[in-house]
Amino acid sequence: MRKILFVVCLLVAFVAFATEFKVVDPMFTPESKPNMGGTLTLRLAGSPQSWLFYGSLDNNAYTVCYNLFDPLIEANPVTNELGPGLAKSWEVSDDGLEVTFHLRDVKWSDGVPLTADDVIFTFENFVMNKYARGNSIDRFTLKGETIRWVKVDDKTLVAKLPYPYGAFFFVTSHVLIYPKHVVAPLINLSDPDSVNKALTTDTPVNKIVGTGAFVLSQYVVDQKVVLKKNPAGWKKDQYGNQLPYVDELVYLIVKDAEVNVAKFLAGEIDYMTLNARDYSNFKIKEREGAPIKVFKALPTGNTPSPVHIAINFDNKDPELKALFRNDAFRFALEYALDRDRIIDQVFNTLATYGDSVYPTNAMWYSKYVDKLRRPYDLEKAEAILDELGLVDKNKDGWREFPSGKVLEFTIIMNNASKSEQDIALIYQEDLKTLGVKLNTQPLDSSIRSQKATGGDFDLCIWAFGTQPDPQLRKAIWQPGGSLYYWHLSLFNKDNPDAPFMEDMTSWETVLWYVWEKAALEMDLARRQHLYYIYQDIYAEMLPVIFVVREMDVRAGSNKLGNMYQTEAGSFVFTNYSVFKK
Amino acid sequence: MISFIIRRILIMIPMMIVISMICFFIIELQPGDYVSTLLENPRISGNMIIELRAQLGLDKPGVVRYWLWVKGIVTKGDFGYSFAHNRPVGDLIWERMGWTVALALTTIVFQWAIGIPLGIFSARHPYSFMDYLLTFLAFLGLSIPEFFLALILIFWMLSMGATSIGGLFSAQFVGAPWSFAKIIDLFQHIWLPIVVVGIGGFGGLMRVMRGNTLDTLGSPFVSALRARGLSEKTVRKHAIKNALNPMVSIAGMELPNVFSGTIIVAIVLGVPTMGPFFYEALLSHDDYLIMTFLMFIAFITQIGNLLADFILAFIDPRIRMS
Repeated sequence: MRKILFVVCLLVAFVAFATEFKVVDPMFTPESKPNMGGTLTLRLAGSPQSWLFYGSLDNNAYTVCYNLFDPLIEANPVTNELGPGLAKSWEVSDDGLEVTFHLRDVKWSDGVPLTADDVIFTFENFVMNKYARGNSIDRFTLKGETIRWVKVDDKTLVAKLPYPYGAFFFVTSHVLIYPKHVVAPLINLSDPDSVNKALTTDTPVNKIVGTGAFVLSQYVVDQKVVLKKNPAGWKKDQYGNQLPYVDELVYLIVKDAEVNVAKFLAGEIDYMTLNARDYSNFKIKEREGAPIKVFKALPTGNTPSPVHIAINFDNKDPELKALFRNDAFRFALEYALDRDRIIDQVFNTLATYGDSVYPTNAMWYSKYVDKLRRPYDLEKAEAILDELGLVDKNKDGWREFPSGKVLEFTIIMNNASKSEQDIALIYQEDLKTLGVKLNTQPLDSSIRSQKATGGDFDLCIWAFGTQPDPQLRKAIWQPGGSLYYWHLSLFNKDNPDAPFMEDMTSWETVLWYVWEKAALEMDLARRQHLYYIYQDIYAEMLPVIFVVREMDVRAGSNKLGNMYQTEAGSFVFTNYSVFKK
Repeated sequence: MISFIIRRILIMIPMMIVISMICFFIIELQPGDYVSTLLENPRISGNMIIELRAQLGLDKPGVVRYWLWVKGIVTKGDFGYSFAHNRPVGDLIWERMGWTVALALTTIVFQWAIGIPLGIFSARHPYSFMDYLLTFLAFLGLSIPEFFLALILIFWMLSMGATSIGGLFSAQFVGAPWSFAKIIDLFQHIWLPIVVVGIGGFGGLMRVMRGNTLDTLGSPFVSALRARGLSEKTVRKHAIKNALNPMVSIAGMELPNVFSGTIIVAIVLGVPTMGPFFYEALLSHDDYLIMTFLMFIAFITQIGNLLADFILAFIDPRIRMS
């Protein structure tokens, strides 16, 4: 009897253990048993501005915070598939309006158990606080109504949605949960702005309490951030090892890209992303026996984003405005774009056609856009321009409007991006062949942003970061959105949810409805289909012309284990799954 | 002398006010604002853009913002909050002050310790091979862009098999308690920023010192000293003392240059000083941080000039008398 009782207790303990630890996807477990311990050293491009994910809009802070804190739902860093995070499971009600989350039995790094109060505290004070610098109110608001979070018990809570919301799980995967017992005393609940002053970088490191794979150990201003393995971590590999494999993760703050290269080659930094120009140099060094591994892959992640050329529908010049709104003219502009030459000369052949915002392996990618692309064909472009009455009457080499004014406009781009400037120069050459005068104007990125989003441009080269779910970039790609900057007059500042529909073209109206419908669609297949339609319309009607997407090029020290490429070309590297050989 | 000091200090107050107005006006001329630098961030939405501008006061006219900033300084000693860091700008600058001052002073000492003796040596051996060589090196130092020299030295070190590039310490010593090994590691790193930043200033100092010494050595009072039969060593001592007077003014001007004029070099070398931080603030339109930094540099400039005047007045009775 005692033996049976012992076995039953053992089984219960095993089941409890198994459900509270998360075994990561097999792709993150090495084929042979990994070494435990050691230090992984990476680069941070600048000093983090806060330890509060919601207190800043800073990529360096995000990079560090994703090691320290976890979301309820996690997106696989390689495939973007959603899976359990701090919530070990969830159920969706039949009407799609309630999602019940069951929390894992996880402890914060100071030993206090995670509860539903922590989740609700995070949503109420940060995510849905309009004063929090990095709030996500818009992502959790549907038709003006917000999603509510209700506690059932310490380990269970319910999200009450005003409408079915297809992107709910994706947006939730971007919400890092903070400990109420640590952060609540640091903020003044009657002063919602005080949240931005909590967990700033002068906070003692032992006050930064998380559930992530690492805990903050040291921050030396402008020099380095040191993270140690979180003993209370809740992820393990297929062998049963608690993750991460390394004991320490060090971010060296290296602002200059050239110094980053030097530090990597000197062995101070273990891993870096490369640009296409550096690839051949690194490959040569690898072949010469340098202790590095160099990878190149088709772009399968969210970055690099495809470069696009936006055409301003609200141009201040009435003749240019009419021309840019003319579909045929935009088609001519695409025929004049030599993507193959750009891939060869600007990206050293390490780029692909950028037909859509999404990489070709993404579930949202419409395969039809490849067929809609207009190939480089100057004769077709010339024929369209002639047909539009844009001809060189005075034989000075430049085409004129029927009014006699030279067909001339300017393209703006980021002066810090050599590739954007080179794309503009190639485009300028081809348009010159057609008799179209294109002026190039490289600008500081913030000035480019200001001019673009102020509607003060003719053509603009830009690239927006992609997100795992299209809904997260709705403000850019839905007509009437605040960042739909090539037709900004549709945006209604007083009521951003109600754009000026009467000014939309017919295809923009269709696009708007497609986005609205997709936002409320819970069925994944139907959502996919709607987003395919949106991409097809973009490829066909060209409010922007997607140029190319840079390939994914990286290099790592050959002392790192479990860093590899999948058969599909995706690159597998996470801070918690690499080990030091 | 006391009235001279008081007068000089009082003049600094209106000067600082005028400088602050000019700086704010120039910052206002820059297109865009802090929020416009965030537009590519996937977490920013249209509503947030409008909300953030209001929260940060960026929707108010520049004159109002300037007045609020000055009022904060005068009434509370508050230089404002950094938009990006959500922290008082004074704290952020103070955090970076230690290494900034240490490097600035060490660089000045390096420039003077090398530039002045070599300038005197050149003047004493005019048009000799060594004079030409030193002149060549001085012009090389003056003409080569510092960031370029920094990059060359970094990749030279890499080719020599260095295992730690840039910064002031190897990774394991950053933030570690002070020890003998850490001091050795510091010396293995700090020479690079000192040489790179100091090389341009050294060239200038050397050329000026050479010119001054040559002028002084040819002046009538030196001939008079020689005519009185003083030893050449004593004559040189008097001549060099006179040649050094203009160098004091140069030192006063050099102080702000060393604090602010090496931004790109500090970025390239990964040195944790205020320069790169200021550069980031400029790029991100972190207005109060930029203003406070500029005011700090203006203050340092005035202090540098003031100190130079004091020292000149102290060592040269002619200035005291006038």
